[in-house]
Amino acid sequence: MDNASNNTIWIIIRRMRVPFLVIIVTFSISILGLTLIPGMDDQGHPYKMTFFDAFYFVSYMASTIGFGEAPYTFTYPQRMWVSACIYLTVIGWFYGIGAIVALVQDKRLAREIDIARFRKKIQEIREPFTIILGYNNVTHQIIDWLNREGIRVVVVDKDEAKVEALDLENFIPEVPSLAADVTTPETLKMAGIHQKNCQALVSLFDDDIKNTKIALLARLLNKRIKLVIKSTTQTQSEHLHNLGVRYIEDPFQFISNRMYLALTAPSLWLLEMWTFGHILKVRGRETLPRGKYIICGYGRMGHALERALKKAGMPYSHIDIKSTDYKEEKQSAVFGDAEDYKALLKAGIKEAAAIIAATKDDLINLTILTTAKKLNPKIYTIGRENTLDDLSIFKAARINRVYILEQILAEFTYLFIARPLAYRFVRLLHTKDEAWGHQLVERMHQTLGENPLHFEIPLDEEHAYALHRELSRGRTIRLGEILRSRAERSQPLPAIVLLCKEDEHRIHLLPTDDLELKPGMKLFIAALEESKTDFEYIVNNYYELEYVLTGKG
Amino acid sequence: MNTEKVISGFFFILAMTINFGFVYGDPANLEYHSGYELFAAIVINLIATILKLGDKTQLGSVLLATSLVADIQLIASATVWAFAVYVMGGMNVESTVAVVSLAAGAFIANIVSVTLFIGDTLKSKR
Repeated sequence: MDNASNNTIWIIIRRMRVPFLVIIVTFSISILGLTLIPGMDDQGHPYKMTFFDAFYFVSYMASTIGFGEAPYTFTYPQRMWVSACIYLTVIGWFYGIGAIVALVQDKRLAREIDIARFRKKIQEIREPFTIILGYNNVTHQIIDWLNREGIRVVVVDKDEAKVEALDLENFIPEVPSLAADVTTPETLKMAGIHQKNCQALVSLFDDDIKNTKIALLARLLNKRIKLVIKSTTQTQSEHLHNLGVRYIEDPFQFISNRMYLALTAPSLWLLEMWTFGHILKVRGRETLPRGKYIICGYGRMGHALERALKKAGMPYSHIDIKSTDYKEEKQSAVFGDAEDYKALLKAGIKEAAAIIAATKDDLINLTILTTAKKLNPKIYTIGRENTLDDLSIFKAARINRVYILEQILAEFTYLFIARPLAYRFVRLLHTKDEAWGHQLVERMHQTLGENPLHFEIPLDEEHAYALHRELSRGRTIRLGEILRSRAERSQPLPAIVLLCKEDEHRIHLLPTDDLELKPGMKLFIAALEESKTDFEYIVNNYYELEYVLTGKG
Repeated sequence: MNTEKVISGFFFILAMTINFGFVYGDPANLEYHSGYELFAAIVINLIATILKLGDKTQLGSVLLATSLVADIQLIASATVWAFAVYVMGGMNVESTVAVVSLAAGAFIANIVSVTLFIGDTLKSKR
């Protein structure tokens, strides 16, 4: 144990020194006096109190219990001394009690106790855990999802009120939290960055410099852990790459990529969305129209969308609105006066196929889209929503597609931490073409229908007991051989293995049936609820495994 | 001159000397050993212990440990005395020797404590 964790005890001890001294001195004076003063016993013989008598009497007198006079009724000289002693010792006690009360209320002590508790909780975590810096809507969502997966989370936020709010959430399993400055190495150490089971660190602050600082510190403190760092500019991202950060979250880049995919390769886009929990079917209003696009708002998001449109070869124009300037100039956050109409008409709203409202202000975005619909009822509307706080308004406004930056950040972070293979799959999708994607979607539709689920399973002792044993013995088992129905082995199991990871460098996308399985491989599988259960039976149970392999058992 | 050092040094050494005063003399004969002296030894030792509290250094912890040993030995010594007188019905040679030898043990702990304290003081530059 290091020094800082004993701090509480030391603070208490140091503060209690003087009260202890006062109590000892007052006690010893009283006791000594009582042993020296002559007394009289019940038969009139003179006697002197022994030290034990005196200690006994002072002990109950000083603590103001008061049992009367012992061992015999006191003489007047004794009573005079005891009167003095009562005031002396009672003052001593009160002072001691007062000091303890003051100590309990001490802010510094309370903080040290908090820190000690937090440390203890973290040391007690046995499972892999993730450190999340900053508690807000995004991280709340991430914690929620990770908790459901059984991944432990530790949260540090600068703001005490937020930490208290988190405590009230009552997450199960518990989420240890601490209010501290997140940019200092001490805090990161307290949060357990050195621990073997610390798996990842998430820093999604709006401030890029803060994120970089945290990334640098975390890299230096622990080389192994995964870092999820938000970055919204190109230079920043490059910088982080040089630091060796494997995962950089740029929400604008994500949106740009998705837009490009949706325009050029809808099947791939669908597969990506499916990995994030969408159903495996394009709803009518989700197909992006082809034609002219108008981008309103030309900030980071505007630029990102422009890149996507340019790459996809779509014509576009843009209206440069800065939400802060707009509000200052017009004294309003409502878009749609005569001047704004003119701007929209000038940008070609009448013949445009779609309009994107991408400013930082939700109200302006909403009014842009409603105004645009007034001018061109057939236009396809895309809105940016900045916070997760108020989803209902955007839903009510019947906007065709809404991009919520925070939601996207949360989804990607969750996938990266909890579902590394799914994340890998999404990344690999971007290297494929539409034909490949279309074929896969067709295949999934035929075997699994429109709403398959996906799951990851490592072929290790814990998750695939029987299969792991057989493989470890050197038996050759091919992928196709275990994807058989438990009821009738000639029938295939409705499941598609999308990804198989042998190690960091050998990753098979859509592995074929003759892939030889090895212990420790990880599979990413699309399946139905029942076929998932069946698959888990097969890999865990000897009899089931033997049956699908040989027909016996 | 460091006032805190003077005060704590004073009590450490006083604890040792008073402790010695009690132990000195024939261990089997209670007439050589005053109860008041044992009382004083206990009080001064307790004060010395409290003065050692709150020092986070390695030396501070060792000093505190020796002091606690002395306290326990002295209090045990007084307890044996009280027990012999009030429960066993009087002092005999065995209990007298026990009282004195327990206090003698405390004396050794005090010697260790004072030696460490002086050694540290000499080692530090002014």
